[in-house]
Amino acid sequence: MKKRRPLEGVRIADLTWLLAGAGGPRLLASLGAEVIRIEWRDRLDFLRYMPPFASKRKHVQHLSSSGGHDSSFRSEQMEERAEKAGAMDLTGLDTGKVQSVNRGGYFNDINAGKYGISLNMKAPQGRELFKKLVAVSDVVVEAFTAETMQKWGLGYDTLKAIKPDIIYMQQPGWGYKGPYVKYASYGPIAQAVSGLTEQSGLPAPQPPAGWGFSYMDWSGAYYCAMTILMALYYKKRTGKGQYLDCSQVEPGIGMTGTAVLDHAVNGRSYRRTGNRSPYTPAAPHGAYPCAGQGAEKDRWIALAVTSEEEWQALVRVMGTPDWAAQERFASLAERIKHQDELDRLVSAWTQAQEPFGLQERLQAAGVPAGVCQTAQDRIERDPQLKHLNWLLPLEHTEIGTWPIKDIPFHFANGQVSQAGPTERAAPCYAEDNEYVYKELLGLSQAEMDACKAEGVI
Amino acid sequence: MDGFLFDVKVLELADEKGEFCGKLLAGAGADVLKIEPPGGQATREIGPFYHDQAHPERSLYFWHYNFGKRGITLDIASPPGTGLLKQLIAEADILIDAQPLGTLEKLGLSWKALQALNPRLIYVALSPFGSSGPWRNYKATDLVHLALGGQMMCCGYSPTEDGSYDTPPIAPQMWHAYHIAGNQAFIATVGALIGREMTEVGEMIELPIHQAVSVCTEIDVPHWIYGKTPCYRQTGRHAQPAIGPEVQFPTKDGRYSIVLPNPFPGGYETLVGFLESKGKAGDLNEEHYKEPKNRRGPAFTEHFADIQAACVADFDMEDIWHEAQELGIPWSPIRLPEENPDDIQWQTRATFSQVEHPELGESYTYTGAPMLPNACAWRQGPRAPLIGEHNRTVFCEQLGLSAEELADLQDKGIV
Repeated sequence: MKKRRPLEGVRIADLTWLLAGAGGPRLLASLGAEVIRIEWRDRLDFLRYMPPFASKRKHVQHLSSSGGHDSSFRSEQMEERAEKAGAMDLTGLDTGKVQSVNRGGYFNDINAGKYGISLNMKAPQGRELFKKLVAVSDVVVEAFTAETMQKWGLGYDTLKAIKPDIIYMQQPGWGYKGPYVKYASYGPIAQAVSGLTEQSGLPAPQPPAGWGFSYMDWSGAYYCAMTILMALYYKKRTGKGQYLDCSQVEPGIGMTGTAVLDHAVNGRSYRRTGNRSPYTPAAPHGAYPCAGQGAEKDRWIALAVTSEEEWQALVRVMGTPDWAAQERFASLAERIKHQDELDRLVSAWTQAQEPFGLQERLQAAGVPAGVCQTAQDRIERDPQLKHLNWLLPLEHTEIGTWPIKDIPFHFANGQVSQAGPTERAAPCYAEDNEYVYKELLGLSQAEMDACKAEGVI
Repeated sequence: MDGFLFDVKVLELADEKGEFCGKLLAGAGADVLKIEPPGGQATREIGPFYHDQAHPERSLYFWHYNFGKRGITLDIASPPGTGLLKQLIAEADILIDAQPLGTLEKLGLSWKALQALNPRLIYVALSPFGSSGPWRNYKATDLVHLALGGQMMCCGYSPTEDGSYDTPPIAPQMWHAYHIAGNQAFIATVGALIGREMTEVGEMIELPIHQAVSVCTEIDVPHWIYGKTPCYRQTGRHAQPAIGPEVQFPTKDGRYSIVLPNPFPGGYETLVGFLESKGKAGDLNEEHYKEPKNRRGPAFTEHFADIQAACVADFDMEDIWHEAQELGIPWSPIRLPEENPDDIQWQTRATFSQVEHPELGESYTYTGAPMLPNACAWRQGPRAPLIGEHNRTVFCEQLGLSAEELADLQDKGIV
């Protein structure tokens, strides 16, 4: 039986950017939707300018047959790596310095499996072309500031007049309905306001640690994909399209529900607990230092001991030290009561241990334990991720083949992977103009040339 | 209004690994039937608890993650229990299985057997590491997943001046490994539902939580792939190849706010103008800083951060961020979760809802719809099921058992 893509035949006009916007259509591409990313050169996605960059020359990466986890990932000399790899300081972004907008490694990952076209939506002719695309699409998704589409005469009513069952998703950061419609949101803002930042870190008086990545960009991407999928299912069953007003903050709020309830029911405010388990009784529970490697000596293993059986197993792996038999560690309740002392004693033992060997020994004994892995660990060492083929080698037209993070769901029947229908990594700028304008929208070469000459595509 | 998944029937055999996915499906309108062991799912033991009473009907964790589901109890490993489970599977669209590996196979319910029972079934198997591979039998918790998945090495506090860390990596608490897995499991599941409209056959989806979590970090992976460059965790901001300027500052009332760089043209000038309007622009209006070339590099970004910090410190957390946002400055308070229900934005959007607990005679504030659709509605109730609340409806009305037969199963401890 030929494997089919679950979203075969679904076409998505993708007017998003960054991760919170562009990540949703990425996931839909993995399920087989034809996602057409629309860009214009005057306002390109910042991710096209953001390090890391692939080397300038077309360079094909050689991957090991199992999906590529050996050190042959190493790119060739990357002369500007050192200067570009500084902190993400977008205020100092000098877009003129970047020789090609097609070399951003992060952009390549976030837009894998998509088609890409150039289209000047500010030009009236550009908007006419967009309407033609809407007529053959199932979904329009955009992340402009709130009134942009209205201003262009492309509000939901217009889109619906062109395609009565269109699904139109708007995702300004705080949502379209409501007084904050113009407010800006990026991942860290959505994390801060929803409560997720306050919930992460050591107890006060330490400040919140927050999130070291834009968790709410990924979550924004998930909820974008989830919402479009629900609407697509509803359309399959009823024939009806709809308008979807999404925000980046609300999915974050949804993940604070237990704390919201604790306040509603018990009047209690959330208090940070560091790595200690706030609600499931557990001790030891946290990150413990291990023997360091390299200059940083920054090696840690997470232990989560929730039962007597696991505690006994840990004690055996520690070599049954005398202190573990003391009365103050005799039960889970006692261990929790004395966890400062327990953590000190466990740390004194772990810090002489090599982390990965320790993880093996603890897991073999039945103790939930895992090294705090770096990206390098996951890419080069983690045998389980390697077994699962978590990185997928995909070709990019300009920079060659690079590993792309594949989606983590494995389908038995359907053809599902981040290669998507393009079977390619991210598109170069305007890479699929020919396909979209000629094949899909029926423009002649002369018409395309005219559009190009007039600055429309 | 309809729910999006108004005609979808889901069975859930899950603890914390799969309950969030089931909650989302219920929210989207599916009929989610949670099958718990007699006495209730172990997740009923997770706190916090209603009035701090540790009791299986009073777990607020369970309330939140099982909102909108129906619930039955069934010992699926007993022969009558397996038989009843088979009857339910035959009528279901989706089966969420987050039980230990091999649980269903031992009952004769391999994927092949499930297909024979119901060729249209979408079977979603969530497990910590997947059903094969060297770590398949590893034990995990939320914390262990966030360690192995890379989140912890991205999150935490900045290193000391010599570049070494005196604080551990931090795992943001509250079960985010299972949020990450549940969100992606939902995407796969509804994708498969749509595919089934075309193929008319079911699907088996395997979702290893370790893989789901490992793909949910940001730039650490591309920095290693493209440049062999490690990223370093730092307080309140992205892990990066170098330590960058602070973005999180204490407020006058002892809280914190976040101020991000505005990447759009004019973003810098707008922020300086706003700081100036509060009398807190420091020396930024001096000629020297009018030249963009004098605003590059770490010395300036640190200086700029100090000036922002001085402004934030002069006001209470909720005081001036609206003014800043009106100007397009990405500025926000670092709120506690309970500070959101009173916000006019979320009230306008009905982001929270009141959920009735009739047996307690009370209603409580829950987080509700994550978006606003115009043709469908997010589920508004009911509250999480009591233990075995729908046993009679399901076993008698749906599967045709007599009251006596149900009582007999109860006596034998099967339901």
